[in-house]
Amino acid sequence: MGAPLIRATDVTRRFGDLAAVDKVSITVEPGEIVGLLGANGAGKTTLIRMILGLLPPTDGELQLMGRAPDREARARLGYVPQGLGLWDDLTVEENLAFVDEAFGSRATAVPEALASSRESLVGGIGLGRQRQLAFAAALGHGPELLVLDEPTSGVDPLSRARLWDTIHASADAGAGVLVTTHYMQEAEQCDRLVLMSQGVAVASGQLADIVGGTTALAVRTERWQDAFAALDDAGVLVMLSGTHVRAVDASPERVRSALGTLEAALEEVPATLEEAMVARERSAT
Amino acid sequence: MKAMILKEFRELRRDKRTMAMLIVLPIVLLTIFGYAANFTVDSIPTRVIGPGADQVVANAPDLFDIGEVDPDATTDDALAWMRDNATEVVIDTTTQPPTAYVDGASLFTAQSASVAFARMGDQVQVDILFNPDLETSWVMVPALIGLILTFIGTIITSIGLVKERQSGTLEQLAVMPLKPADVIIGKIAPYFLLASFDMLVVTLLGVWIFDVPFAGNPWLFAVGAGIFLFVVLGIGVLISTVSQTQAQAIQLAIMLLLPQILLSGFIFPLDAMPTAIAAIGRCLPLTYFVEIAQGIFLRGAGLGALWIPFAVLTGMALLVFSAAVLRFRRDLAPSVHRRATSKAA
Repeated sequence: MGAPLIRATDVTRRFGDLAAVDKVSITVEPGEIVGLLGANGAGKTTLIRMILGLLPPTDGELQLMGRAPDREARARLGYVPQGLGLWDDLTVEENLAFVDEAFGSRATAVPEALASSRESLVGGIGLGRQRQLAFAAALGHGPELLVLDEPTSGVDPLSRARLWDTIHASADAGAGVLVTTHYMQEAEQCDRLVLMSQGVAVASGQLADIVGGTTALAVRTERWQDAFAALDDAGVLVMLSGTHVRAVDASPERVRSALGTLEAALEEVPATLEEAMVARERSAT
Repeated sequence: MKAMILKEFRELRRDKRTMAMLIVLPIVLLTIFGYAANFTVDSIPTRVIGPGADQVVANAPDLFDIGEVDPDATTDDALAWMRDNATEVVIDTTTQPPTAYVDGASLFTAQSASVAFARMGDQVQVDILFNPDLETSWVMVPALIGLILTFIGTIITSIGLVKERQSGTLEQLAVMPLKPADVIIGKIAPYFLLASFDMLVVTLLGVWIFDVPFAGNPWLFAVGAGIFLFVVLGIGVLISTVSQTQAQAIQLAIMLLLPQILLSGFIFPLDAMPTAIAAIGRCLPLTYFVEIAQGIFLRGAGLGALWIPFAVLTGMALLVFSAAVLRFRRDLAPSVHRRATSKAA
């Protein structure tokens, strides 16, 4: 196997005293989808900007396509930023034509779903269509690596599913994908995950690796509000889904003790990725 | 309502640029207008030639600041000095009565000189050169071209560039395999061409509608306008590199545009300003463009007479445009690859 498409080793970026990214290591190989997870401000976008060569790291080693993240390396990737990076005052066709020319690639066909909007100004079409166009523009030159920053943010579930089909198709064709997201369902579609919290990679590996060590207890009781308050007061990591109370990373004894005389049935259940993330973030702080 | 007013004041207090416009700008405007808004010229650079020169010097009103007295110079010398803008007035005593040549391209100076000579009765005959009827439009149109170029160069260019940053497409351009020079030239060239087109249209309209004479070499004027355009485009790019939003860019551009309108000699004559205010005016690019434009349009001046404003504008263009390109390039291509290469090596 050749060099990874992305290899970041102990990469750090400081802004004054604040370490926005602190000794993060990450690799992306051809054909794999790596998810970068974390809340807003976790350092995902700063890390991506460093990988793309838009922001110099304060420390650490960074390679893109086996070399410094320079223009030649960037020519081999497709990037969809959070803001999509489309020109609102150009039409769908004109946007694609400009990107094709910039990358020196053959004319990218307007996606079928956008055929009726090919001459519409991008600023005038819906967000879902804009995202499809951004994907088409990023994929037009056949990139070896896709870097997607919150690629499905704000689109409906059907459009999101379509965009993920595109991501999987690219990966199946051999492209590596680095994608940031905070949708748990999307994270579950990644081959590997890196979980970031306050600039630090607090966990990495496959979904099972991240969730594996985390336990959850479903607390079943009529008095779910009292149960939630009691567990929270006792410092137990407690989450609520509707009226279902779940205690994360806490032993049955600790939960019983926190509930006191309140009657409740406890059942051990698999932790969700979201619960695992919150537990990891909590233990990291 | 009280909460709304308080919120507004709090926001304003933290918006330093708006505060500057609200507090600093009125003070600056008041000071500049107080000192610079003066149409009355108190001192007119004057030369006297011919056999009766000494007598004229003794009798000339104080308004005329007689710098050079040359009894041997000829009328041709006098006209050459006027064309080269070496002086505002030449009193030629080789004729009888003496002839005062007055530079009509310096409107307010010429008006003041005309009034002073009129008071002297038949002692001097006045010949107003380059703008015999002292038409305001003849003086304003060449200078207006500079103002239009400044407007396009600073405001329109900075808005265009900040829009790219604000919408996030500047980052997309940085990720594309475009050379920074391609992006910079590709971004600025359309504004350069549009401004050049505007310059051509305004020049032709000025000549056609207002009968402004174009006495000089059009190519020399085109070169001067081109150099000036580099300066103002550079200022526009610099503004864009320190502005996050289009509103900020407009604020900053206006703050830089106003002094140019007031202190470039475009409206108020530099000769009528106090030395310190005039010195500020002499730091502004529009001042030199106005000198070039009026010189070529009205006096038919050549490079020999205009080399100083040409040289100053060229220096400004090199300085400002280089700084602008370097700053813009920094946004597009940070030194990341150099650092990363060294780490990777």
